[in-house]
Amino acid sequence: MTSLMEITAQLLEPNEREAVVGDLEEAGESTWRGLRGVLGLVIRRQAALWKSWQPWVAAFGLALPFSFMLMGFSLSVGWSYQRFIGMGAGFWPLISRLFLLVAWSWTGGFVVGSLSRRTLWMSIAATCSPCLFCLARFRESSLPSICLLLFLGPAIAGVLKGLQITQIKLFWAIILAIAITLAMIPMGRITWVLVWPAWYMAATAWKTERETA
Amino acid sequence: MLGEFEYALITAAAGLGDQAYGAAIREEIEATTGRKCSIGALYTTIDRLESKGLLKTWMGETTPQRGGRAKRMVRVTPKGVHAAKDFYDAVTRISRGASWAGSAS
Repeated sequence: MTSLMEITAQLLEPNEREAVVGDLEEAGESTWRGLRGVLGLVIRRQAALWKSWQPWVAAFGLALPFSFMLMGFSLSVGWSYQRFIGMGAGFWPLISRLFLLVAWSWTGGFVVGSLSRRTLWMSIAATCSPCLFCLARFRESSLPSICLLLFLGPAIAGVLKGLQITQIKLFWAIILAIAITLAMIPMGRITWVLVWPAWYMAATAWKTERETA
Repeated sequence: MLGEFEYALITAAAGLGDQAYGAAIREEIEATTGRKCSIGALYTTIDRLESKGLLKTWMGETTPQRGGRAKRMVRVTPKGVHAAKDFYDAVTRISRGASWAGSAS
């Protein structure tokens, strides 16, 4: 039970974990009361985090809807690849789609990571649930079902980068946002909502550079 | 103005002086009020008071009875002393004339 309390305490910040587990040990709390105390603190801490807008936007404004859209786009990249392999045509459309898939996924992941460092578990759940839903209903015989999840690799890389405190340089953020926007123009009807994480990233990089100047 | 629990926490921390840290404050509150003090309520209140500038906290020494873990030390700031005094004065003023006031001794 004590180890269960220590596992639960892993959800706290390192300094707080040290102080809380030490206090409970010093007070000679029963393991059950200790576990209840730590759980209570974890719940209070999580509840406090959800009072701000960032975790809501990360989980329900980004992770959930983007997972659906990027799964659809992952399939479209898979079909473009098949066309290129089968008929030897459509190299540049394939490259363009591949670039967009990687860029949208990476920038989306970056914004999720930077907005929800301590509530990432909910963003992960909001990404995984549509993935499992679509995987269970995948009936396309010409493509392997794993094609649905092509976006996950760059998205995870973006999340890991977003979790770091370091900011993206303004120059590179703007270059990336412009490149994504330009690459989207020939796509026509593709939803433009997918571009906002790139411009959000550029805006936050601009704000950070202005504050530090 | 402070809440009742915030006042109890600041008063306990001020009374403990250099020995004010989580477990000691909790024990003091439980002993004087006769009520259970959850570790969750204690630490979220410490954070809130620190963000208001009424407390200052830092990580202190480790002791064997804590399994070698550090304490989170607490000190009441001058602003905290002022806020506690305001609360005490307000409670004293509002209690004047109450049938139970002055009968505690």
